[in-house]
Amino acid sequence: MPGPWRWLRQRGGMIAMFIALFLLWEFAVKLFGIKEYLLPPPSKIWSEFLKRQSTVMTGAWTTTIEIIGGYLLAVAVSIPLAMAIAYSRFVENSVYPIIVFLQIIPKIAIAPLFIIWFGFGLFPKLLIVFLLCFFPIVVSSVAGFKSVDPDVMDFARSTGASPARMFFKIRLPQALPEIFTGLKIGAALSATAAVVAEFVASDRGLGYLLQQYNGQLETPMVFAIIVLLSLIGLSIYYLVELIERLVIPWHVSQRPTEMTGL
Amino acid sequence: MTPDSLTEPTAAGQPMPRRPPGVPVEIAAVSQVFRRAQLETQALERIDLAVKPGEFVAVVGPSGCGKSTLLKIIAGLLAPSTGKVEIAGRLVSGPYTDLGIVFQSPVLLDWRTILDNVLVQIDLRGGNLAAYRDQARALLAKVGLAGFENQMPRELSGGMRQRTAIVRALIHEPPLLMMDEPFGALDALTREQMRIDLEKLWLERGQTTFFITHGISEAVALADRVIVMTPRPGRIERIIEIDLPRPRHKAVITSRRFTDYCEDITECFMRHGVIQY
Repeated sequence: MPGPWRWLRQRGGMIAMFIALFLLWEFAVKLFGIKEYLLPPPSKIWSEFLKRQSTVMTGAWTTTIEIIGGYLLAVAVSIPLAMAIAYSRFVENSVYPIIVFLQIIPKIAIAPLFIIWFGFGLFPKLLIVFLLCFFPIVVSSVAGFKSVDPDVMDFARSTGASPARMFFKIRLPQALPEIFTGLKIGAALSATAAVVAEFVASDRGLGYLLQQYNGQLETPMVFAIIVLLSLIGLSIYYLVELIERLVIPWHVSQRPTEMTGL
Repeated sequence: MTPDSLTEPTAAGQPMPRRPPGVPVEIAAVSQVFRRAQLETQALERIDLAVKPGEFVAVVGPSGCGKSTLLKIIAGLLAPSTGKVEIAGRLVSGPYTDLGIVFQSPVLLDWRTILDNVLVQIDLRGGNLAAYRDQARALLAKVGLAGFENQMPRELSGGMRQRTAIVRALIHEPPLLMMDEPFGALDALTREQMRIDLEKLWLERGQTTFFITHGISEAVALADRVIVMTPRPGRIERIIEIDLPRPRHKAVITSRRFTDYCEDITECFMRHGVIQY
């Protein structure tokens, strides 16, 4: 069967259900006369969104930059750090407890501090996204790097392979599935982190707009922004999942069910 | 058949290419004590054993008799508390690399095809992969894996994966093969076939082979000498020369002498309370 048809057959039920829910929403609002500022119908959300498209899209761009920037920063720091923790007893004993302790601090609660320290610009937002994504990536990567079967390592040692060769041929590929688990959890958190950062103090971005519209009881716009934020979060998540499929196809294809595969 | 004749034409009458004979292994007064939380466990007590070049030695014993520890010490993966191991006259002081090793689980790499899993042996040694590719295919074919070269490990049965692990351990033609309960996770029929195939490979190549098992008949069927070990502390209880013709066809392993050897070992375990009725 050709690809698009198979896709439609597998996902058809889901798509039909979505359409049915939106129709139900639309008609229920009209039927029961629910006030627009409480629950606007989907058609109203769409038309309001189109009216202020350019403002919203500029905000979306700002927020996307914060999400991706903070996320990439988290990836760049987490994975080397996880390697250091996994392979050095000293780093594991000295640095890891501090990281765990920092994780217990509610990061959203320190967001206002970042405003005092770094002002209103991009940097404090990057930092908050970084902080939220960082921990799951570190924890999963450490687990991944440490998950090598001791027999595999004994086999590798019996070949006399250098540490670098062992790392690239065995330890790293072995760790990748768990690293990607962390990367996906981080990706799912990243959009939330950016919005929270904007809530605390900002003059741009979707989080900022959300607060503005909410304050003015422009509920259709609040809904529009929530949908847009979800789409951005979803896109980033799927991008990471796509990369996972390309990097470790041997692992992805053996998962029994694909919960999120579109 | 003496080990020295292994590089000569085999009993089956086919001329075999001459291969470098296996290496001698000398185990001298090896003891191993594990300390964990102030608790001392004597895993091995004064093991002395001289393995002749090309000899097939099976170590049989119950779980916890230290046979896996012994294998790790010989392979240089574990330093003994006391005593020493010499392979081909050289003291083993770190991982010994001129050997092939097979564990109870195949420990293949999930991300490599069957062929690439065999070649990882060469890859980790920094060898020229292209030079070994044909050999790897030929060896895989010999153990019944022709046509599976490009499959992934998870697509194969447990027996096929273990065959791959054996081919991986032999691809670089090591003079020493270490096997730690290699058929332990397989069903009885697969086990029987693997035993037959392993004997063939050994007859052709003549590498010194160390085979750890808890199957008494498996040990007798394969080995030139069976080392009987008993636990707490792990030590050699008896060494039994198995004087049976090779290859060990059905007629041999159903013979009276074969069952006598097995009974002999069983009785030895009964005397030490390993087997109780």
